Parts: sequence; C-alpha cells; structure tokens
Amino acid sequence: MRNFLAAAALAAGCLLSGCGSHRLRMNSEQPVTRPDQMVSFESLYGKNCSACHGSSGQGGPALDLNNPVLQQLLDDSSLRRAIQDGVAGTLMPAFGESAGGMLTDAQVDALVKGMRARWATAGTMRTAAQMPPETTTLIGNASHGEQLYQMDCRSCHGGARQQVTDPTYLALVSDPALRTILIAGRPDLGHPDWQTVAQGHAASDQDVTDVVAYLASLRSMTPGQPYAAQPQGEQPTATEAAANQPTTAKRKQSTGQATESFKTEK
Amino acid sequence: MSRMKRVYSWLDHRLQLGKPLLEMAEHPIPNRTASWWYVFGSAAFTLLMLQIVTGILLALVYVPSAGEAWNSLNFLNHQLTLGWFLRAMHGWGSNFMVAVVLIHMAQVFLFGAYKYPRELTWTLGVFLLLMTLGMAFTGQVMRFDQDAYWGLGIGASILSRVPVVGGSLVHMMLGGPIIAGATLSRFFTLHVFVIPGLMLAFTFLHVWMVLKLGINEWPMPGRVVRRSTYMAEYHELTEKDGRSFVPGGVWKDAVFSAAIIAAVAVCAVVFGPFGPGGQPDPTIIQTVPKPDFFFLWLYAVLSYLPPNLETPFLLIAPVLGIAALLGLPFYASEGEKSWHRRPIAILALTTIAVSWGVLTHLGTYTPWSPHMDAWSGGPAIPARFLRTASPVEREGAVVFQAKQCRNCHSIGGYGGQRGPALDDVATRLTGDQLIRQVLQGGGNMPAYGKNLSPAEVTALVSFLQTLHPANEPSAADAAQSVTGH
Amino acid sequence: MNEAGHEHSSENHSVVGSEQDRLTISRRWLLLKMGIALNAVVGVAITIPVVKYLFAAVKPDEEYKSWVSLGPVANFPVGETRLAKFTNPVRRSWDGETDGVACWVRRVAEREFQVFAINCAHLGCPVRWFPQSQLFMCPCHGGVYYADGSRASGPPERGLFPYEVRVVGDSVQIKAGEMPTLSNSASLVQLGGVKTDASKGDSPCRG
Repeated sequence: MRNFLAAAALAAGCLLSGCGSHRLRMNSEQPVTRPDQMVSFESLYGKNCSACHGSSGQGGPALDLNNPVLQQLLDDSSLRRAIQDGVAGTLMPAFGESAGGMLTDAQVDALVKGMRARWATAGTMRTAAQMPPETTTLIGNASHGEQLYQMDCRSCHGGARQQVTDPTYLALVSDPALRTILIAGRPDLGHPDWQTVAQGHAASDQDVTDVVAYLASLRSMTPGQPYAAQPQGEQPTATEAAANQPTTAKRKQSTGQATESFKTEK
Repeated sequence: MSRMKRVYSWLDHRLQLGKPLLEMAEHPIPNRTASWWYVFGSAAFTLLMLQIVTGILLALVYVPSAGEAWNSLNFLNHQLTLGWFLRAMHGWGSNFMVAVVLIHMAQVFLFGAYKYPRELTWTLGVFLLLMTLGMAFTGQVMRFDQDAYWGLGIGASILSRVPVVGGSLVHMMLGGPIIAGATLSRFFTLHVFVIPGLMLAFTFLHVWMVLKLGINEWPMPGRVVRRSTYMAEYHELTEKDGRSFVPGGVWKDAVFSAAIIAAVAVCAVVFGPFGPGGQPDPTIIQTVPKPDFFFLWLYAVLSYLPPNLETPFLLIAPVLGIAALLGLPFYASEGEKSWHRRPIAILALTTIAVSWGVLTHLGTYTPWSPHMDAWSGGPAIPARFLRTASPVEREGAVVFQAKQCRNCHSIGGYGGQRGPALDDVATRLTGDQLIRQVLQGGGNMPAYGKNLSPAEVTALVSFLQTLHPANEPSAADAAQSVTGH
Repeated sequence: MNEAGHEHSSENHSVVGSEQDRLTISRRWLLLKMGIALNAVVGVAITIPVVKYLFAAVKPDEEYKSWVSLGPVANFPVGETRLAKFTNPVRRSWDGETDGVACWVRRVAEREFQVFAINCAHLGCPVRWFPQSQLFMCPCHGGVYYADGSRASGPPERGLFPYEVRVVGDSVQIKAGEMPTLSNSASLVQLGGVKTDASKGDSPCRG
C-alpha cells in the first residue's frame, strides 16, 4: 500500500512538474473568440464556404475559387460584394451582416484577402490585358453565339450528361455566372478557360457575350419541369442528343399535364 | 512520547471526543464486508472534501458577477499560476463525484443495504444524490459561458411548464425576468452556501448512521432480513466473524480514496479544465448549447419525447422517480438481500444503467440536432458523388447545400443526423417520391414547397436520384415501366 | 440547569418530591413554553419580511414588460427576416453582456412586422434563421419553424414566441422585458405541423 501511494504521488508529481508548461493543457492559449471577432481565414472559410466551394477551394459542387484566372477576373470589390450580398440569380447566398448574414465587414475582408493570398498566382497576370472583363457593355448576338456554341462547346456539352442547355440548369445560373465560367473555366472539372475554350484562338469579350446571349435565349418561362421527355430509365437516343435543338419546347408539350399537377401540388 | 500523551489527554479532557471516536474506530464489522466493494461511500466523502477545498480555493479568485465571471475564469485559466489546475481539479472532481455517488448507490441497492434498519441512511443518501446533482448543475452555471447561459434557459423553460405557478417559479429561479446578474448571484449562493451546507449536515448524519448501525453485511442467499431478529443476528455475525473497523476495513477505503484523488489529478493535468466556452452573451446565436456529461441523458430524453408527452413527463417523472427512490426502503425493508434472489432489482438496475448509457451516448453526438454549419462549412460532398454529375445534378448538389438540406441529412458521413443519410437515397425513393418528400415534407421534415423554385426542386431531385451505389439500380416506379410514362 | 436535571431524574425514578418541587418544575415548564411562544411570535414577524424579500423577483409579467425600440424601420427590408438586438429594459449594472436580448424581426409588408423571440418554444435555446430555406432551426433538439413562426417539425409543441409589435413613427417597437417561456407566452398553441396564420395577430403576447 505504501508503495502504491508513493508511486501515485510520484506519478502525480511528475505530471505536474514535468508538464510545467501549463499552456499545453489548455484547449487554447486565449479565451474563446467571439464569433464576430473571428478573422482567421481557415476557420471562416471552413465554416462558411468549404461545403460548396471545396475545402481547398476546388472539388465542391459550386464554382472553384482556387482558380487563378477566376481570382484575376474578379476584383476585390466584386468578390467582396459576392460574399456580402450573394450573387443574384444563383444559389450563392448573402453572408454579410448588412444583408442578413453572419459575417462582419472585417470577416468578409479576411476571406477576400485569404483567397487572394492562397489562390491568385502572379503567373497569369501577363494575360490580363486580353482577358474579357468581368462585366461587359457589349450587346450579345444570340445567333452568333449559337454558331460559336456549335463549333466550340458542343463537342463536350452535346452529350446527354453535360447538357448546359437544360432550362433547369439555366434557371439556376445567371448570365454573369455563365460569363464567369466561360472566362475563368472550371479547372477542377476540366472546363477550359477563355484562352483555350475556343478552337485556335482565345475567346474575345464579344464571343463570350454572344455565347451567354445564346444560352440566355434558351431560358424557359417554366423551368424545372420534373419529367424528362423520355420515359424514365431510357437513355436519350443518339439522334435525340445530336438534335442540337433545345428540348424545351418538346418537353413542354409532352409534360404539359405533369406541369399542371406539379403546380397544384405546390 | 509522554509529551504527546500529555497534550492528548489535555485536549481530550476538554473535547471529550476520544472515547466516542475510539468506539467508532473499533466497532466491529463483518469480515466479508471488509471488501473492495465497500469503498465507494468513503471515496464519495473524500471527493466531497476535495470539492470543498478546491471550491474555496477557486472562490478566492472567482467573481460571481454576470459581468465579470467569465473574465475571472479566463484569468484563472490563462494568467494565474496553476489556476487552470485548480479549475481542472474542481471540474474533474465533480465528474468523479457524481460517478462515485452513482456507483455507491448502485452498490448499496445491489447489496440490499437499504433494508432494515438502514432505511433512513438510504433516504439521506437519496437526498445526497440529489444535492450532488444539484451541485453539478449549479457548478455548470458557475462556469458562466454560453452553455451555462442556455442551460439556465432550458431550466427556466422546464420550470415554466409547471401549471399555474410556472411563471413565478421562473422569476424565482432567475431572480428577475431574464437570465442575468441576479441569476448568477443566486446560483452562486446555492452552489457555495446552501447546498454544500446541507450536504455537510446530511453527510454527517449519513456517516453517523453507518457507523452506529454498522456496515451492511455481505448479502447471502437465504439470510433473510426480519425486523424482529435482524439486530441480534447482525451482532452475532460481527462477533463471530468480524474484525474492528480500524484497521480491518478502513485501509481499503484509504487506498481507494487516494487512488481516486490521484485519478482526478491525472485527469486534471492531462485533459485540463472545462471551459469556459463562449462569452455568456445571449445575442451570440452561433452557439450549440450542450449540458455537462451527467445531464446528457436528460438532454437526450427531451429530444425523443413526443411533444404532447413532454410537459407531463418533465413534471411527473422526477416526482415519481424521487418518490420511488425514497419509498424503496419502506416498501422493501425486509426480505432477501442477495442479488441471487432479487431478479427484479437486478433487472431494474440493469435497465436503468443501460438506458442511461445509451441516452448519454446519444447525447454525446446529438443525432437529433441539426448540424447548423453543415450547409456552408465542413467538407464538401465527396467527389465520388459528383464525378459523373451533369450540370443540373451539380447544381442540385449546390441546392442541397444552399437550402440547408445537409443540416439534417448527411452525405459522405458529414452533415446532420436528424434525417436519414442520403448516400443511397435513390435506392429507397423514386424521383416522384423524392419530389413529394421535398415539397410536402412529412415524417418530421419541414415542407420545402414554398421555399424552393421548381428549377431548384428539379435540380435537387435529379442530384438525389444519382445517389445510389454503382452496382445497385435506383428505385423505379413499377407503374411507369408498364404505362411507358 | 443541573438542578432541573437532577429533579427530572429523581422524578423518573418515581421518587415523588415535595409539593414545592413540583410547583417549581411546572413553573419552569411554563416559562419554557413562554419562551417558545415568544420565539414563534418573533419568528413569524421576521419571516414575513424575509419571505417578501425572497419573492421580490416574482412579479406579474406586465411589470417587467415595456416598449423597446429595435431601431428604424429602414433597418428591416420588406420580405426579409433580420436579427435585432436590444438591451433588456429591466437590467442591473452588473449584468454584463447578459442584459442583451436578440430577436428575429420579419417585415411582412411595409407597415406589418412580426417579431419572434430568439428562444425556441421547446426549451429556450437560440433559434437561427436560414433565409435560403426560409426556416428557423434550433441547435438543441432540432425544433424547426417556418418563416411565419409556425412549427415545422421537431419537439416544440407550438410556434415561436411572438412579441407584441408596433411601429411608432420611424421605429419598430416591441413589448419586451422578460425571457419568453411557455408560462408567459403560451396563449397560442399550434399542435402538429399544420401551418396557420394564428401567430400573426397584433397582440399575440399575453402575459
């Protein structure tokens, strides 16, 4: 018993003196930070952004932010605005306190700065001069856009799995957002940026504007019809996929009834 | 030596304590009772002493004011030399104390020690258990952080359910209309003066009775307790097959107590103090309040009760439970003590222990709570779910995140557990069923019909329809394959 | 005392003392009874103020409540739900941060407001508003409410606690002062998932 007691005392003593640096035993060195005072990029990004944009800025379902071209395309104020107020016409919500979110101005700034520091690389700066701007004053020509689409996009987007002409998709992605993807690409998905998206030449502001205008012309008044034109389970035939005709009209026809029931259910 | 003796006799002549103490020390206990099973009571006593000492030491620094308590705790943690250690000792001491008191009680119950003539010892013990839990709760309030604040809110909400006087009880508990300075002051009073004072008095009586009535003998099947014969039988046992309490039984108590205190110290050093968590500012709503370990089971119960049973349960169950505990020794004051002959007692104890364990386990990961940040933070939907996704399905995944679906439904092992995990939802529900579930909700899911556009619903459902293993087809509507629609 | 003890014991041994002794004993008992009675009187006299002191915090709800401004109307865009913070009208200087109160302000129309308590109707935890899905969610036990405060799912028996709202000039005001609980805000009980507009009344907060 005496041995035991001695051993216990010794052990306790060792632990106390040996681990002299009591900071080791604390969860953190500082008291807990108020959530509105938190300005570490890692924790802010990990709490507010990573689920959609991916933990490392890519690989999430939403736009990859770990994309130097994108970081170059969006200036600080538009990036800040996107975080603060959300992006209209897309699913990007507003995070700024002023818009009903939880992040203070300082926190939004920390996010912008952190993204810049991590994901904007100097290497792309040389092409900045020719890059189409984030917003444009040009008027889009939808028929020229269609030609460009047929020429440059259909090779990938023609397949049944990559239909960007689906009105449901277009209803959820605004024109500026389409423009952003066309210019900045989505490297995580293998989508080329403006330099390589067109065959043989870099896409110009006009090209991008026209393709966006073409896609915009495919938007439907009643997007999101739940039933495909084909019976479920059947793959679209090759001719269907190659028809390169927006399927909106057809869908509306064949699913008119479904549309109504959908509405009444709502 | 003779000098020591002289001092002793001088003192004893005035104190008159020597003879009764010697009697207590020498009182006989049954040989088989000098067992490691009988050490929990003394360990609880030792822990109470530890809590009093560490509590007094903490009170030297702690400021029981709503405006300063949190700061003074952080001062203890981060600035005062070894303040963190004292906080850790007190915190771990309280955990150990609740645990040891519960084990002590279970052992006493198992050994039938509450039977004649020790009914009152048990009754006082029940009150001591309640006071220990009371200390644990008020102690959690002393750690005046967000958990403490919202824990008080839960307490007030429970009290408010009492018919007629609920509102007055809430005012009494909070010391005013809201949880604020007055609340902390009165919980400090409870934690530091009222409950410990009562506890010391009750503990004294409890121990007094144990020493005077003698420790419970080791239960033997067939050795039945009868009021008329028990005392004589017990005395015969201790005379025939007994030893004196000191040192025959007490050395094990001493060893175990030392071991427990050492364990508290080791835990304190290794795991550090509890909290304090976030500032006790009720306008900080980014908080997920959670009670301390020993109330997690209650937290779990409160989430699983059907809404209309909740108030009756909250108000009636504690009364019945306490009444049952208090009434036990009077209901079963005679009869068998051995667990070999008390199947119902064993069953009851096992049931309670298992339920407690399960509920506590559930309480540690709260599957009923929405995961408030899962919609925007944490890992994204794993790449394997999105590798072949079409643009619409990918947008559907964004809808899934942006509309907070993931707060309640996990994918790829991350997200809330309130609703079912959706990793393979397409094998369970067809597209139409998914649409219906999203729009109308049901089965404890809110209806999203008003809050999603048709495009969002379609994208979401088309994403959900991709969620099935590669080698398992998605659920299909048999009627559709017949009608061709 | 020793004397009395002695007399007692002699009595117990059924040795009857003199008439004088008996009278002495009964007189002493009488005096003790008087002492007890005196203590009882003083005790009651002291207990009344002590109890009043103890129960000082127990007041009718109306005494705690008063109109509080949540700021100008312009802070709350139409159709949105925003967090508003105010200082509780009943407060003490040592309350620290705990005298702050948060609430959810929903501007239904130009002059129509709904203000909900931050406290879940279940057990008082702070509910959070998610504008994307138009739901309030509670982190404790998973209570969920729709935008109009009615119960959507989870353990709460009813919708969120609404405050009494008015718009005076340019400012939104609510009648606040007390932690909303079932005992002071429980006039509207919505059971089940049925969505009603019952919580939209002008004066749903009845003490």
